[in-house]
Amino acid sequence: MKKRTLQRGLTAFWWVTITFLYLPLLVVMLFSFNASNSAANFTGFSLRWYERLMGNEQIISAFWNSLVLAIVSSVVALAIGCLIGYGMYRHRHRKLGWLIVLIYLPIVLPDIVFGISEMAFFVSIHRHTGLLQPGLGTMIIAHVTFQIPFVALIVYSRLVGLDATLFEAAKDLYATPFKRAVHFLIPTLKPALISAFFLSFTLSVDDFVISFFTAGPESATLPIYIWGAIKKGVSPEINAIATLMIGAVAIAAVLSLMFNRQGRH
Amino acid sequence: MTETNMAVRSRGVVSETRHLLFSVMPGAVWIIVFLVLPSIYLMAVAFMTNGPYGQPQMPLSLESFRQLAGFGFLGWSPGNLYTLLRSLWQTLLSTVLVVIVAYPIAYYITTCREKWRPIMLLAVVVPSWTNQVIRTFGWMNLLAPGTPLSDAAQALGLIAPNMGLYPSNFAVTLGLVYNFLPFMVLPLYAAFEKLDTAQVQAAQDLYAAPVRAFWHAVFPQTLPGLLAGTVLVAIPAFGMYVIPELLGGGKGMMLGNLVANQFAGSANWPLGAAGAILMLIATFVGLYAMRRIGKRLGGGEEVVI
Repeated sequence: MKKRTLQRGLTAFWWVTITFLYLPLLVVMLFSFNASNSAANFTGFSLRWYERLMGNEQIISAFWNSLVLAIVSSVVALAIGCLIGYGMYRHRHRKLGWLIVLIYLPIVLPDIVFGISEMAFFVSIHRHTGLLQPGLGTMIIAHVTFQIPFVALIVYSRLVGLDATLFEAAKDLYATPFKRAVHFLIPTLKPALISAFFLSFTLSVDDFVISFFTAGPESATLPIYIWGAIKKGVSPEINAIATLMIGAVAIAAVLSLMFNRQGRH
Repeated sequence: MTETNMAVRSRGVVSETRHLLFSVMPGAVWIIVFLVLPSIYLMAVAFMTNGPYGQPQMPLSLESFRQLAGFGFLGWSPGNLYTLLRSLWQTLLSTVLVVIVAYPIAYYITTCREKWRPIMLLAVVVPSWTNQVIRTFGWMNLLAPGTPLSDAAQALGLIAPNMGLYPSNFAVTLGLVYNFLPFMVLPLYAAFEKLDTAQVQAAQDLYAAPVRAFWHAVFPQTLPGLLAGTVLVAIPAFGMYVIPELLGGGKGMMLGNLVANQFAGSANWPLGAAGAILMLIATFVGLYAMRRIGKRLGGGEEVVI
């Protein structure tokens, strides 16, 4: 009897927490369809804020910047991180403490310290050499830096989970390291590589602080644009872009759920 | 050992080392060049003097640390000290609140049917996939003047008429709890899932009161998850920038805002860098403390740091 009360209480608490987690997002979505520009009263359904978005060149360019940044940085991080992950596995019996520290550094460093140290560094290099002008290039560098550890750790943990004799067998089967990589390593790592790519992509799209400090005047991403718009004064247009971004995340969530299910069967 | 054998072995060692270099070097060099060097540069900046345009200059000095402690042209002011104390307080408060919410949620998920658990975990995590700026903007919408929540708070006399619930310290705490809840639920859930129920059963069989049973049989087993969660919540919360900037206003500023402002509007790089050093020290002290606590209480090896 007592146990059932506890369970009921927990169920109620669960739904309260879920409401708490989704309420801010639902409000943003609801008010993106608001006919008036009030942030407090919903006066009627309209798509006017979405129409405004389509005509806003800054938003469209911010969208492309976000996309290019996320894709390019994820691809570069995948290549570099994958190599580190493999190296960590192959040489796991050596003392690689320095490497572990190096890999955890981007994860533990507070975003703001990460962002401003890169910004200060890039600005100084630029002043002295003309290289590394703040823009999409510096943002890509910064994003790759925080993505590498996650890729490396995913690849490493996948390799550790494999049977070590598989590597011996591959060595006997395929003569050259290149063939071994193409026929054995990459196919076995495929699920890990896919999830590492998606994680890198999500991390990139999710990031604001590091992008904000390493961006140039022309390379605003969607979160940076939204930030600027909020600072200028809350406008319902922000709700509309935000809703589109939430929609993208929702699709990603459904896909990951389906992918996860497929993986288990 | 014959000579040829030695030669083969040493060649093997050389190629192994070369392999290590080729696989690990690109990434290691990348992180060193684009993160370690910038951090060292930033630390150096903290010991320089602020130039007229906010650029760091020689000579070396400790001026920035004096400024961080509150000493300025007009003598000492407590502003920065308040900011620092507020950061500590907000971190502590929001971490405790996150633990209080996350414990029952993580436990509840383990009591549900196995096929629902991944979906429930996903439901907790999905909101955090949305950009932080958007999530915080959602709370601005919810807490603005004229919204039901603000009206309710006014009716209860918690805030002055025609005011919103933001900007305020309350809004910052709320934003932090909202932001970091999933980071505590996940490691706690992992701990609960591994929980050895025999111990709990034994405690109940020995007529332990529920609180006692929890404290002696459940809590120690979930400790690794709790410590990992605390690291994931408290360290980023202490350096938080977006949430206090949007929900806190002038009186809700935290260390992250103090640091960031020195690189934007008021331009005083050395002061900002000194603040960043403080944040780094806090980060590493926090990590070290968690490791020590974890080891002392016996769950240390499982803490993923």
